[in-house]
Amino acid sequence: MLQGHNQPGGGFIGGVLTTTAFVLVYVVFGMEFLQSELLEMGSGGEATDRTIGLYRLLFTGGLAVAFLSGLVPMLFGLPFLTQAVLFLEGVPLYHELEVASALAFDVGVYLTVVGGLLTVLGEAGSE
Amino acid sequence: MLDIVLAVVFLPFAGAALTPLVHRVAGERTAYYAAGVAAVCFALVARLTVTGTHGLVGTEWVPSLGISLAFYVDGLSLLISLLASGVGVLTLTYSGGYMHGEPGQAKYYATLLAFMGSMLGVALAADLFALFTFWELTSLSSFILIGHYTGEKSSQYAARKSMLITVAGGLFMLAGFLVFAWAGDTTLIVGPGSLTANAGETVATLRSAGLFLPSLLLLAIGAATKSAQVPFHVWLPNAMEAPTPVSAFLHSATMVKAGVYLVGRFRPFFLDAVPEATSLPEWSLLFVTLGLLTMTVTAILAVAATDIKELLAYSTASHLGLIVAGFGAANAYGAETGAFHILNHASFKAALFLVAGIVAHEAGTRKISKLRGLRHDLPVTALVAGLASLSMAGIPPFNGFYSKELLFEATFVLAEDAGGLTWLFPVVAVFGSVFTFLYSLKFLSLFLGDPNGDLGDVHRPPLPMLVPPVILGALVAVISVDPQLAIDTLVGEVYASTVPGDAHSFSVGLPTHLTPPVWMSAITIGVGALLWPRYDRLHDGIRGLLHGPVRANWWYDGSVDGLTAGSKTLVSRVQTGLLRTYATWVFAATSVLVVGAYLATGVGFPAVELADGMTAAMVLVLLVALVGAAAVGGAPSHVAGVLTLSILGFMVAIFYILADAPDLALTQLVVETLVLVLFLLVLDRLPAYYGSPRFSVAVRDGALSVLVGATVFLTVVFATAGSPDAIGGNLSRLAGVPAEHPPLFTDYGGGYNVVNVVLVDFRAIDTLGEITVVAMAALSVLTLVRMRGRGEAQ
Repeated sequence: MLQGHNQPGGGFIGGVLTTTAFVLVYVVFGMEFLQSELLEMGSGGEATDRTIGLYRLLFTGGLAVAFLSGLVPMLFGLPFLTQAVLFLEGVPLYHELEVASALAFDVGVYLTVVGGLLTVLGEAGSE
Repeated sequence: MLDIVLAVVFLPFAGAALTPLVHRVAGERTAYYAAGVAAVCFALVARLTVTGTHGLVGTEWVPSLGISLAFYVDGLSLLISLLASGVGVLTLTYSGGYMHGEPGQAKYYATLLAFMGSMLGVALAADLFALFTFWELTSLSSFILIGHYTGEKSSQYAARKSMLITVAGGLFMLAGFLVFAWAGDTTLIVGPGSLTANAGETVATLRSAGLFLPSLLLLAIGAATKSAQVPFHVWLPNAMEAPTPVSAFLHSATMVKAGVYLVGRFRPFFLDAVPEATSLPEWSLLFVTLGLLTMTVTAILAVAATDIKELLAYSTASHLGLIVAGFGAANAYGAETGAFHILNHASFKAALFLVAGIVAHEAGTRKISKLRGLRHDLPVTALVAGLASLSMAGIPPFNGFYSKELLFEATFVLAEDAGGLTWLFPVVAVFGSVFTFLYSLKFLSLFLGDPNGDLGDVHRPPLPMLVPPVILGALVAVISVDPQLAIDTLVGEVYASTVPGDAHSFSVGLPTHLTPPVWMSAITIGVGALLWPRYDRLHDGIRGLLHGPVRANWWYDGSVDGLTAGSKTLVSRVQTGLLRTYATWVFAATSVLVVGAYLATGVGFPAVELADGMTAAMVLVLLVALVGAAAVGGAPSHVAGVLTLSILGFMVAIFYILADAPDLALTQLVVETLVLVLFLLVLDRLPAYYGSPRFSVAVRDGALSVLVGATVFLTVVFATAGSPDAIGGNLSRLAGVPAEHPPLFTDYGGGYNVVNVVLVDFRAIDTLGEITVVAMAALSVLTLVRMRGRGEAQ
């Protein structure tokens, strides 16, 4: 997700990859392990509900981040979702650091994808 | 002037918004609050009238489409506004007595006020689209008021009927308006630079495009549905399900006048550009025929009525026909008829409706056969009814006589000019008027003779119910005594609004010598008097004829029932509740539409050639993918099928790697993995074997699969035929190569990964839409899975 602007990657791919990691854990060790050991949500049906609640929070939060990041440029009188790049000079080690405002939007995409896919998987898996 | 006009139009809406609060405090006295709001509007309109302010004012509304909230103040709009606000004050006061103890009063008064605002908007609007908006608002409020008794079947039927007919008519009118706006390149109806001001050129444009007659007909349908002209008159008698004050206000004095207002408003536009030699322009042929037909047919139906409100409803349609016929005639008398009769009809018909309300309220029945001799118990009401029904009958010297005389004169002059079949116009006018005379006498006869002992005690009406009809009766009397006063103060201006070019006022009075119109009046009254003793036989005879396709209602009910039955059949076929039916319809419809679009646009099949840089490894990978795809069909189980399918997916991912598309390959790999796992999770819950399908179903599904497959294939071929180089070139031209230190917010968020920059920058809104879809899909899965059990339990 972090390098996506200039190299292969990005919020969407990052999100799907993260989800795949969870899915592999789920396939190998099962739902119980994922919930109790990895997410420390405890075990049992109630824990499933809590876990899915967490996923839901992820995708709603992600959607909100993406949307809000689009609103920020409007404060400067620019169109919705305008993006920009800022070059920071004199940063130790890096000397020059490129910060793209699109990163905020990408974080939103990432969170939405992770949350959304995990919700679907969690629901389908707990059946 | 703008602030006054805006206040007149929007004050009632503000009043309507506050009504629920007022009702909480004031209870039944809300009637007088609403009447107060109406009185303020009336005072403002009266001030505009007295100061003689005319002209166009407006404010921006939708500037990007050239639509403005423009208002035009002239004689016609002032008369309709005076009626809407003045009769509004009277009926709202009357409601204070009539609606005593009735349910839903807050809704009732709020809707009446909103209706009044809409009607004032219709009268004053100078912009086509503003007029249309207010026009449909009147239909909407009328719907709510007719359906006031929400629990009753007949109310629901009546409300739905009026809504269907008037709103559908409004849509025809809107289509006409769009044509006018196109031809005239303006949305203003009257005033400088408007359609009417440039009538000559606009009509020439319409004629050369062949749209003159269609636009005239569209306008006429709008006016005819609203003003209950034959054959759209059927909704008006049913609308009498509304409380009587509503009938008096909406269905006699105001809303139904919107249609005739429209005819009057567009009259100068259509008659301005008539060539000199034409004695019977299309406008006249259409509206005189429509008006006289309505006047006659509905007068005959009024004679057949058994209920006093039904009688008045048909009579209203009949008099609206008279006004339409008047506006239709392309001579000065025609405009005079329309202008004067709008006022006369509103005065006597609103009075009669209020009288009918008193009778129904106090005698407890509306059956004509049961009512007689009411003057003993209701002396004041009887006096008002006498004045108003004699005026309705067109008997001199009452005010209805003057405008009817003008109609006779208009049709006679028209026939003299045009000759031939147009001599039918004056004949039909007299014929219809005979029936008008008859039913008017019938209404009057309710008050004559001996009282009906079966009725029991008939109480005197409370004061709030008595004063409004008395005021209207007094108005009838004043106009009757001095018609010239009404013309000089009000109607003359209305006449001027409905004729092209400059116009002078006109004069009326009792005839001093025998002219053809006087003969026509004499024949009407004479024949009417001769037929009066045979009224009951006429009544029965007409009723005997009214069945089957003769009745317009038969057609209405038939088509509504047919549509309902058709919809039900269609729904049961499309909405089976089975997922596979929905999938079939969606897939089939999408494929047919897409392939149809390809055929319609005639996309050519692009030449297929092997791309540069195709290596043996790539060909091999794609061949494996094809084998995997073919194997899916022969897979012995669902799980095996899905696993085989994923061979295809992974081969495509490998192809991406070989073709130097790391982003796509990465995405394809992880998505393929995820989808595989999801499939396996879901398949676990499905039965392993469904049994053999019926042959017809198998054929249908097979055909559908082939169709969907072909559509997708064609889409891919056509979509990739466009060169990606051109798209990429455009993007980089737009963005420019990122400068070394570009200023903030100017370099389009540059980056080297084109895929990602496109996703988060160039097409960020698309991406926002897509992640919204992801979130919604997750929510739907959540809801569907969680609620599945609940649905079954119910």
